[in-house]
Amino acid sequence: MMSRAIVQVRDLHKSFTRGTEAIHVLRDLTLDVGEAEFLALMGPSGSGKTTLLNLIAGLDQPTAGTITVGENVISGMSESELARWRTRHVGFIFQFYYLLPVLTAYENVELPLLLLNLTKEQRRKQVENALGLVRLTDRMNHRPGQLSGGQQQRVGIARAMVTDPTLIVADEPTGDLDTRSADEILQLMEILRAQLGKTIIMVTHDPKAAARAQRILHLEKGQLVLDTAAAVS
Amino acid sequence: MYGMPPEMSGAGYDTSMLQLTGYLFAGLVVLILGAIALAVLTLPAFFVILYVSDKLVGVFATATGWFPLKVTVIMFRGLRRSMLRTSLTYLALFVLTLVLCLIYAVLYMIGNATSEKEANFKAIVTHKTTIPSQMPPGYYERFKRVCLEDLPPEMRPKNGDKDIMSWSFILGTTDKANPRKDNMVFLFALEPDKVLTMMDGLDELVGQEKELLEKACAAMKANPRAIVMSKSRLKSLNLRVGQTIKLHGMNYANLLFEFEIIGELPEGKYEGVSFMNKDYLIQQIDTFPTSPNNPKKGEQHPMADKCINLIWVRLPTKEAFETLSEKVNNRAEFGTVPIKLETASSGIGTWLGAFKDIFWGIKFILVPAMIGIMSLVVANALSISVRERRTEMAVLKVLGFAPRHVLLIVLGEALLVGFLGGGMSALMAWGLLGNVKFQIMFFGAFFVPMNALFYGPALGMAVSFAGCIGPAMAAKNVKVAEVFARVA
Ligand SMILES: Nc1ncnc2c1ncn2[C@@H]1O[C@H](COP(=O)(O)OP(=O)(O)O)[C@@H](O)[C@H]1O
Ligand SMILES: [Mg+2]
Repeated sequence: MMSRAIVQVRDLHKSFTRGTEAIHVLRDLTLDVGEAEFLALMGPSGSGKTTLLNLIAGLDQPTAGTITVGENVISGMSESELARWRTRHVGFIFQFYYLLPVLTAYENVELPLLLLNLTKEQRRKQVENALGLVRLTDRMNHRPGQLSGGQQQRVGIARAMVTDPTLIVADEPTGDLDTRSADEILQLMEILRAQLGKTIIMVTHDPKAAARAQRILHLEKGQLVLDTAAAVS
Repeated sequence: MYGMPPEMSGAGYDTSMLQLTGYLFAGLVVLILGAIALAVLTLPAFFVILYVSDKLVGVFATATGWFPLKVTVIMFRGLRRSMLRTSLTYLALFVLTLVLCLIYAVLYMIGNATSEKEANFKAIVTHKTTIPSQMPPGYYERFKRVCLEDLPPEMRPKNGDKDIMSWSFILGTTDKANPRKDNMVFLFALEPDKVLTMMDGLDELVGQEKELLEKACAAMKANPRAIVMSKSRLKSLNLRVGQTIKLHGMNYANLLFEFEIIGELPEGKYEGVSFMNKDYLIQQIDTFPTSPNNPKKGEQHPMADKCINLIWVRLPTKEAFETLSEKVNNRAEFGTVPIKLETASSGIGTWLGAFKDIFWGIKFILVPAMIGIMSLVVANALSISVRERRTEMAVLKVLGFAPRHVLLIVLGEALLVGFLGGGMSALMAWGLLGNVKFQIMFFGAFFVPMNALFYGPALGMAVSFAGCIGPAMAAKNVKVAEVFARVA
C-alpha cells in the first residue's frame, strides 16, 4: 500500500497559446506521488513530461486544477512565493547539469543555501555533507569545466539535495551520460530515496533507467495512459 | 589671435578657422589613438585589479558568509567568463572616459578664462574696427593719463602705472632675402618691468623660474637691446643665451634690430615667442627718418602711427571698468582712432566667439556621439553576455533567486567594469596631466580638474548602465518554464 501522498495533482490542465492557437499540453491530469517514492515519467517527445514536472516543481502555474505538495497548495502561489517555496522544498536535477561554469563545485552547491538564513558554519557543513554523499569531496574546488559529465551531474545532485528538500525532480538526468555514469547517478537517486527519504520524480526516455524506479507512468498527448510498472517491457 | 598682424602665419600663429578646425580634429584623432594605446597598456593593470578585488571579496565572502558579498563574488566571476569581451568593454569605457575627461578639462579651462573675475581683472584696449588692432603710440600715453588722473581715485588702477601695459607685435627674420619659418622671430615689444605682474601665466611663477625671469627683465630694462626668448625658438634658430642676433623687420619693413639674447622664457609659457624692450622699438622708429635704411629719406616709418597693438589695464572694480569704458568710447580725445575697452575675458570671448561653432559641435555633437557609440559597444558586449547566460539566469531562478537578484548580478557586473574603466582612465588623465600645467595662449594653465576623478567612474558606470539595462531587464524577466520546456 502506498504511503501518504506528498504530491497531489488534481484535474490539472495546462495550455499555451501560440499566436491565436491554444495548445493543450496537459488535460485533466490527476496523480498522487507517495512520500519517499521514486517515480519515473516516460512518454514520447512533446507529450508534456517537462511541462508536468515544471508545474509540480512550482516553475509555472497551471491553467486549471490544483497541485498540493506537502502542506502547500502551490497552484495558487504568486511567482515570488513560489521562488521562496522552491528553495526549501524542491531540488532540481537537469539533463545538462546547468552548473554555473565560473563557480567551483563547492560554490555551485552552496548557491541555494545563500538564500536561506543559515550561519556560515551550518552552510559549510551542509555543502560538505552533500558533496560527501556524491563522493566529490576531493573535487570541491574544481570548476565544472574541469569535471567529467558524470561528475558534473553528481554536483548537480548535491546542489539539488543540499537544502534538504522533500521533493526532488529530475528531467532526463542520465540523458547526456554514458551507461556507467548513468548507473552511478541512478544509484545515487536510490540512495536519496532509501536513506534520506526523498520523493523523486524522474523524467526519462531510457527504459533501463525507468526500471530503477518503483513506479513508471506514461504520458501521451497530455494524459496518463498506463499506471503500472508492468508496462516497461 | 586678435590684435596680431596677419604676417604672423609663418610663425605658427595663423588664425584661419579652417586651419584651427583642422588642428582641433587632428588633435582629437591623436587623442583618441593615444587613449586607445593607453587603454591597451593599462589592460594588464585592469585585470590585476580585477583579480585582486575578486580574491579579496572572495576572502571576505567566505569569512563572513554575507549574502551581498557572495553575490559580488558571482559578479566578479562573471567578468572572467570572456576575457575578450571584458577587455573590449574596458577599452571602450577607458577611451570614452579619457577623451571626455580631456575635452571636459579644456571646456572647463575655457570657461575659467572667459568668466570674469570680480575684482582686479584685466581689460584690453584695441582698435574698434581694424583687425589686427593698431594704434598710435600717443594713445597709450593718453590712455594712461585717463586711467591715472581722470578716473575717480577709487577707480584708478591700484598699482598706478604698473597696472598698465602695451604690446606691440614684431615679426622679423635673420635672413632678409630668404625669410623662412626657421629664421623668423616673433616678438612682443613691451615694458620689461611689467612682465612679471601683468602677463597671464607669468604672474604666478614661483621659485627659481621667477628669479631667473626677474633677472632677465631687469637686464632688459637696463639694456634696450636685450631680449628673452622661449626655449623652443632658441633651439629651432640654433641660438644660445648670450649670443646676439640681427633681425630684419617684416611687418616693420626696413627696420634692423640688433638684439642680445639674455634669457629664456620659462618652459611652457608663451611658447615660440620672445619679449623685447618697447623703448628699442620706439627708438628705432624715431630715428628712422634719418636712417640709411630708409628708402624715402626724411619720411616717417609707415608703422610709426600704428605701432601699439594692444593695451592692458588692471582695474579694481567693475564700476571702474564701466566708467573707463565710457570715457574711452566718448572722449573726443580718442576720436581720430576709435578704440574699445573690453575685459580680458570678453576679449578672449570675442576671439573664442569665432570658434563657437566648433565648441558647440564638440559639446553637442561630438560628445553625445561618442557617448552614443561607446554605449552601443558596451551594450552590445553586455547583451551578448546576458543572452549567452539566459539559461544560467533561469537556473538561478529555479534555485529560488528572485528576479531582483538576477538583475543585480547582471547590472553589478556591468557597473563594475564601468567603474574600473572610467576610474582608471580618469586617474590616468589626472595623474598624467593633473600636474603638468601648460599655457595655451592667454588661457590660464591647462589642467585636469580633480573632480574628474569623480566624474570618470560615474560616467563609466552611467554608460555601462545605459548599455546593459535592456539586457538586464530581459534577464530579470526570463521565464524559467519557457527556458526548460523545449530543452528535452
Ligand atoms: N512555454 C511554452 N510555450 C508554448 N508551448 C510550449 C511551452 N512549453 C512547452 N510547450 C509545448 O508543449 C508541448 C510539451 O512540451 P514538453 O513538456 O517540453 O514535452 P516533453 O518534455 O514531454 O518532450 C510541446 O509541444 C511544446 O512545444
Ligand atoms: Mg522534456
